[in-house]
Amino acid sequence: MSAAQAVSRPDYNAMENDAFRREARAFFAAHFPDNMRFIMRRMRWADMKDWYVAAGREGWLAPNWPREWGGLGLTPEKRLIYLEEQEEWGISRTHEHGVVQVGPILMKYGSTEQKQTYLPRILSGEHLWAQGYSEPNAGSDLASLSTSAVIEGDHFVVNGQKIWTSLADDATHIYMLVRTDSSRKKQEGISFLLADLKSPGITIRPIRTIGGHPELCEVFFDDVRVPRENLVGELNQGWTVAKSLLSHERINIGSPRRPQYALRRLEQLARAKGLFEDQGFVDRFTSISLDMADHVSLYLRYVEIMKQGGELGQDVSMLKIWITELWQRITELLLEVSGSHAAVPGILSMEGVDVDVLSTFYYARASSIYGGTNEIQRNVLAKYVLKLPN
Amino acid sequence: MTLTQDSERVEQAALLSRSVDDFVRRGTDVSRMRRLRDTEPGFEPSMWSQFAEFGWLATLIPEEHGGLGLGLSEQRIVLQGLARVLTPEPLAACAMAICALRHFPASKICSELLPRIAAGEVIAALAWQDTDELAPTTKDAPRLHGPADAYELTGTSRFVHGAHGASGFVVYCEADAGPALVWVPSDSPGLRIETVPLADGGRAASLHCASVPILSAHLITCGAQARTVLENALDEGMVMIAAELCGVMGGAMDMITSHLCTRVQFGKPIGSFQALAHKAVDLYIQQQLSSAVVDQAVAQMDAGCDQRQRSMIASRAKARCSDAALRITRDAIPLHGAMGFTDEFDIGLYLKRAIVLSSWLGNAASHRRRFAALNDVSSR
Repeated sequence: MSAAQAVSRPDYNAMENDAFRREARAFFAAHFPDNMRFIMRRMRWADMKDWYVAAGREGWLAPNWPREWGGLGLTPEKRLIYLEEQEEWGISRTHEHGVVQVGPILMKYGSTEQKQTYLPRILSGEHLWAQGYSEPNAGSDLASLSTSAVIEGDHFVVNGQKIWTSLADDATHIYMLVRTDSSRKKQEGISFLLADLKSPGITIRPIRTIGGHPELCEVFFDDVRVPRENLVGELNQGWTVAKSLLSHERINIGSPRRPQYALRRLEQLARAKGLFEDQGFVDRFTSISLDMADHVSLYLRYVEIMKQGGELGQDVSMLKIWITELWQRITELLLEVSGSHAAVPGILSMEGVDVDVLSTFYYARASSIYGGTNEIQRNVLAKYVLKLPN
Repeated sequence: MTLTQDSERVEQAALLSRSVDDFVRRGTDVSRMRRLRDTEPGFEPSMWSQFAEFGWLATLIPEEHGGLGLGLSEQRIVLQGLARVLTPEPLAACAMAICALRHFPASKICSELLPRIAAGEVIAALAWQDTDELAPTTKDAPRLHGPADAYELTGTSRFVHGAHGASGFVVYCEADAGPALVWVPSDSPGLRIETVPLADGGRAASLHCASVPILSAHLITCGAQARTVLENALDEGMVMIAAELCGVMGGAMDMITSHLCTRVQFGKPIGSFQALAHKAVDLYIQQQLSSAVVDQAVAQMDAGCDQRQRSMIASRAKARCSDAALRITRDAIPLHGAMGFTDEFDIGLYLKRAIVLSSWLGNAASHRRRFAALNDVSSR
């Protein structure tokens, strides 16, 4: 994007919040395909391509990127509004790693050449990034990863296996953590590397989720040669690079929007079925609604900290624990309310309400695992917030 | 409120918070509450005078009546801070009476009482219920009858907190012309104050009125306004009790984390075991949800909102805090092992205070139902 184009767009940060909210909503409404809204799985490139390219072209793809790189350059407060509207409109998750992870990391640690090569291609959709962090023996204990990268002349030679790489079979590139020194403490021998998924020696095998969609993959590396200039940051500094994302990115996972959508569907269905005549059901529904309302109060406390320009501490992890487990409880009640229909996959029509009960249920299962399992989040809170001993 | 006033208020709140914390560290502790259990009036009048000096009794009283004219945000700081060490003085009970009285600045009795309450000379309590449910006035409720120059009150008010040591009561009753609020001095002839001992060693009371003479000057209000003012005072009371419950949770969480860090078994501090650490984290999340709702409730009420919104946020706060405080203090018992089951150890006192506060002005289940009913009216 040229500088002239960048300045021709309004200064969204100077706008009133409500005005910006309307602007964001209007953009999503105009460009996001109606039949893709509220789909309870990660969408593939073929389905999302038109939307992604349009959003990138119009400068609406990367709320977190500075304007000079084609982003919206939003303040934390405006970014939250963007996120809220995105979720309110039911915009499905798709190839987001480029925008959310690779972009910010390159802006902080990348060389000028890396930035110029990769950043514009993320926004254009030419490069789609997959995340190569987890391995079969390195999940919650990520730092014990063993995929190795050995320097040979101008290249790293990579051997090993990555797993749970979302949409890798759809992606063009992978950013990964590799072991470059096994003689040091485990966090200190890791480097951050970028690789082209078309490189010889890479094999990708899709993995179907319990929801039946091939969203996840295994990626095998067999003597894969990666140019040395694809190293991001210093050699053996990969752990620091990967952990560098700003604390306010972590509030996103505590956002109430997706679970609120599930709660609204539950309410619609229960109403259509006359369940609000049943005090037993009303009690359970109210209890779960208040769990949501109170979560929103807690979430807003962190939003307020961000608005004031503050950094979020480790305690923000509690949002993820509470909202994901609440989301799961909502979908469990949805299954119960669906009666015999609960066993039927796909979009169901019950009493005039259309809802994909099982997809909603399955989708919520993943939430307590990704982004650090809830058990790991509890460890984090125990250690850093309650200061309990190890 | 302008920006400067806003930041001034934030600064004042921080000051208030520091002075409460400081007092709690130096001036009182749980042993005082332990010593005063099962005594009458169950608190220390000298401490009450001290609270008056600090201005803590004047928070909600309008400036023209000798008060500070502040809001629930400030009252919450005092209540929550003092509840951390289970302070036995009937601060919330008296504040509820203030919430009713301050709506009548023109009334002679109110303008007489409010400055004296602020100064700690008069302690008031609110009497409004005659069943164990969250609904005023049924068949036993006090009735006001007789001509204007010779009113008499007959009937019973139950679960009156802060009755012992109170100089008088704001009593909600039924008159011929509809509901009414009257002031009943505690030494009125025909008034019998029956003690109801509570789980935590504190006291509530049943007020039995048999033809208690009521001066016409003591009729605070009569008609629909009486009901509105009562409901407002109760909503404010719910939030104040929720704030006290937050204090109870804070004290209990401190005990839990300190025990998990210091108690050693199998050669390690027991907080290093995930089963216990994760349980503590779940309790901490409940504590944080609670304080977030109370934050929102005091802010919303201080900013002014309609009756329905007030009642909804008050019920949300009371429901969350009642459940959370009971859960935290209940789980705190086994986390402390057999020691937690002894009367000698303080954690049991926290559980008992949580039981008392959560059942006062409606428990969690009744507030969830109230919320559901309020929510229904407009949205469907």
